Amino acid sequence: MLIEEARDYVVEKLPYALNPKSIAVVGSSRLDGKVGYKVIEGLEKWGYDGKIYPVNPRAKEVQGLQAYATVKDIPDEVDLAFVAVPAHVVKSVLEDCVAKGVKIAVISTSAFKEIGREELQNELTQFCRDNELPLIGPNLVGMGSPYFHFNCGFIPYLPVPGPVAMISQSGANLLAALGTSQEDHLGMSFFVGLGNKADVDFSEFIEYANKDPNTGSIAVYIEGLDCPEAFVKAAHKSSKPIVVIKVGGSKIGHKAAFAHTASENPESDEYYQSVFDKAGVIRAVTWQEFLDDALALGLMPPLRGDNIVMITNGGGSGLLSCDHFERRGLPLKELKEISPLLFGKIRNYMPMFGSPLNPVDISGTATPIQYRGAVSQALRDPNVDCVYVSICPTAVTDVNEVADQVIEVWNKNKGSNKPVVMECQGGKECHDIILKLRDAGIPAYPTAEQAVNAIVALREYGKILDEKEKAE
Amino acid sequence: MPKPGKNYLLNTEEKQEWMRDYFFAPRGLGFLEPGIVGPDDARVAAFNVAKSFYQTRPDVFNLALVAEKTGLSADEIKARLQRMYDERLYMLVKNSSVGVYGFGLWYWVVKMKDGCPPEEKQKLTDWIQNNNEICTGYACDGGDFDFYCGNHMRVLDNLLEAIIDPIKQNPYVEYVHLCPVRRDLRESSVNQADTPFRFREFRFSDEAKKKLFEYTDKIDEKDLEVLEVLNNTEFSADLFNYDVLQELSGLDGAKMREDFSHVMDESRFLINMLYLNFMKLGLNNHCYLIRMFQNTPSYRKSQIIDELAANPDFNNVFEFTDSYHDAIFMAYEELTDSQKLRETMEAYPEIEEILEANSPRQFRRWTARLDDDTDNWEMCVFTDDLLQNRMARKNACSLCADKEENESC
Repeated sequence: MLIEEARDYVVEKLPYALNPKSIAVVGSSRLDGKVGYKVIEGLEKWGYDGKIYPVNPRAKEVQGLQAYATVKDIPDEVDLAFVAVPAHVVKSVLEDCVAKGVKIAVISTSAFKEIGREELQNELTQFCRDNELPLIGPNLVGMGSPYFHFNCGFIPYLPVPGPVAMISQSGANLLAALGTSQEDHLGMSFFVGLGNKADVDFSEFIEYANKDPNTGSIAVYIEGLDCPEAFVKAAHKSSKPIVVIKVGGSKIGHKAAFAHTASENPESDEYYQSVFDKAGVIRAVTWQEFLDDALALGLMPPLRGDNIVMITNGGGSGLLSCDHFERRGLPLKELKEISPLLFGKIRNYMPMFGSPLNPVDISGTATPIQYRGAVSQALRDPNVDCVYVSICPTAVTDVNEVADQVIEVWNKNKGSNKPVVMECQGGKECHDIILKLRDAGIPAYPTAEQAVNAIVALREYGKILDEKEKAE
Repeated sequence: MPKPGKNYLLNTEEKQEWMRDYFFAPRGLGFLEPGIVGPDDARVAAFNVAKSFYQTRPDVFNLALVAEKTGLSADEIKARLQRMYDERLYMLVKNSSVGVYGFGLWYWVVKMKDGCPPEEKQKLTDWIQNNNEICTGYACDGGDFDFYCGNHMRVLDNLLEAIIDPIKQNPYVEYVHLCPVRRDLRESSVNQADTPFRFREFRFSDEAKKKLFEYTDKIDEKDLEVLEVLNNTEFSADLFNYDVLQELSGLDGAKMREDFSHVMDESRFLINMLYLNFMKLGLNNHCYLIRMFQNTPSYRKSQIIDELAANPDFNNVFEFTDSYHDAIFMAYEELTDSQKLRETMEAYPEIEEILEANSPRQFRRWTARLDDDTDNWEMCVFTDDLLQNRMARKNACSLCADKEENESC
């Protein structure tokens, strides 16, 4: 249901959705495999240390915990009610939540607006609004935060800790992002599936993320944007970069989005682009780009100029990058154009057959010391806005040591406020150092195109900030 | 109603009468048979709402009707229903009409070898109780057989591979006899879809009631009357209070009633009922497993079963097909005259053999567990094999964890 702007009472209560002291699991099950079973199992497995109150009128105990027939029967305060019961039970549960003074309700149940029960969904939403009980969902997979060891839903794992706040309408894509986080160390501050987002809206989670100290960037997966005004207002208020992906624009995808999360997409893609432009958010086209951009934006400062220097030991990766920079509208400049003196400084760290152009090819024999020197020189040069480092794992390249050197250089030069992005193309050794670099706070990618896209996103955000500053 | 005296000759008009009296509908896969909906369909919402709430909200039932029939106040009826639920004396359940719902209902009888140690029988008891591919069953503690269990399945081989084979491989098992159900006539004293009598009629004789109230103080005359009224409503749809269902769910009460009438009263592929938990009443269910001579015509077998089923002392009645046995009847031992019931059966010259066993324990009420002692009461598991292939397993016997262990068993 529509809102014009993020509501204060909702934003104030959202911390109870991600760091509650007590949870009622309504629809908790004694049977492994049911959602209500997995919720409690996940909470316990991932180290939640608050109180868990299973609600099940048929059982005395669930998973070793005393069960209660209804939420109202729980003797203590309840911060969060996670509801995994059939749709026809939800109304009664919400009434109990209001009577009990529950702070926030999360409904994982499906079979509302997406199967034609819009009226019921709206009635329940209005009831929650009348009683200032924020309702997340229905039709969602769950939420959590690695910082709070909190995994609430039917979600198999937590992401690794990091800067990205992942706000997704789709449970499946949220799970995909969490899987990527585990595999590729895409660090997250928190994650939430919004499902049909009958009540709590993107804008409110954006405002929460903006206040969250663990969040560096906000990633929003959108199937339907019901409240564009609220979205634009929240984005304007945000001091953190926002990257979005909007799906359901194709003819057949339009119908699929409604069947999935009851999302209506009556407007053209141009309309959504205009909303995103007005909001000052970065729009990714592909899922991979969405994740890559979010990571770079979360880890690195914005790119405030076009002077990007690429340092590589492989000419091929340099060429792939050059072409993609140009395709994305951010062509690399000649090194002498950026900084006439820089090549002379870098030359000390490369063999005589190295290339003085941009990309700076320090050759396939480059040692960790040579990488360190070249990257340091580029980063310290006042004319350089961004350093892009690429490693190709030749037989003489100690990729692990190169990564360590770049991490050290980055740590010493964080104050420069210039982004450093890495590309490591190769096999397992490259994947391993990508994880190491990401853990150390440097966005690193396995392909040139991914790294370039990330740099372009950082530049877009730099321009968005320029505009904001101008307006102020 | 059964029509004794007819011959139902093939290739005559009488054959058609046989078809009218004992018609076995085709079975399809899934819920795609014309006119059938799945149990979670919106048209079954009334039952599903009531099933979700009756544990704490007995007013989901049609208390006005009960009050009218029993003279009790609504509050007293609610209190009685609540107490009976809390003491696990009853459960709101639904049955599917076997003939049309797209699966076969397969029962089987297990006989342990003479001298089987009690602990070995207990192991099989536990295996059955905890097996989520067995939807119902009884353990017997004396008599001609030891277990009588069942499951509704779409593929017979799934049952053979996943359940029957492991039981047969158990070295303490003498035999397993399959009993495919042709007609489900009565369960828990309520007439089912295949009854020749009034559909969904609660049958409990006055004599049995009298004995029940003498035997136990768990339930009194008024309690049983409440359950009887609810099980005996003229229409299935009369069971509930749709205002309460609407208040609880937010769904439209009138629409719920209309849909439910269609599913239950017009189509009759589901039946809602209140199951009476004989275990909590301290009763034993005495089983009579009947075999008729093989030269008995099939219509005559059905007629005999119908005639016996007219006796309200039998709380469960099933007719089998393609089986060594032809029917099973159950009667509460403490409330009926077992010898007299046997003599009634023996009066039929077509009956060749009657096996008897006494069951103090039922495992599940179809998919809902009944073992309250382990706090599994009303835990529902969909045991159906819809879209499943249970044939590719490395089956061990029911005593063993895996095939390797089985080889040394």
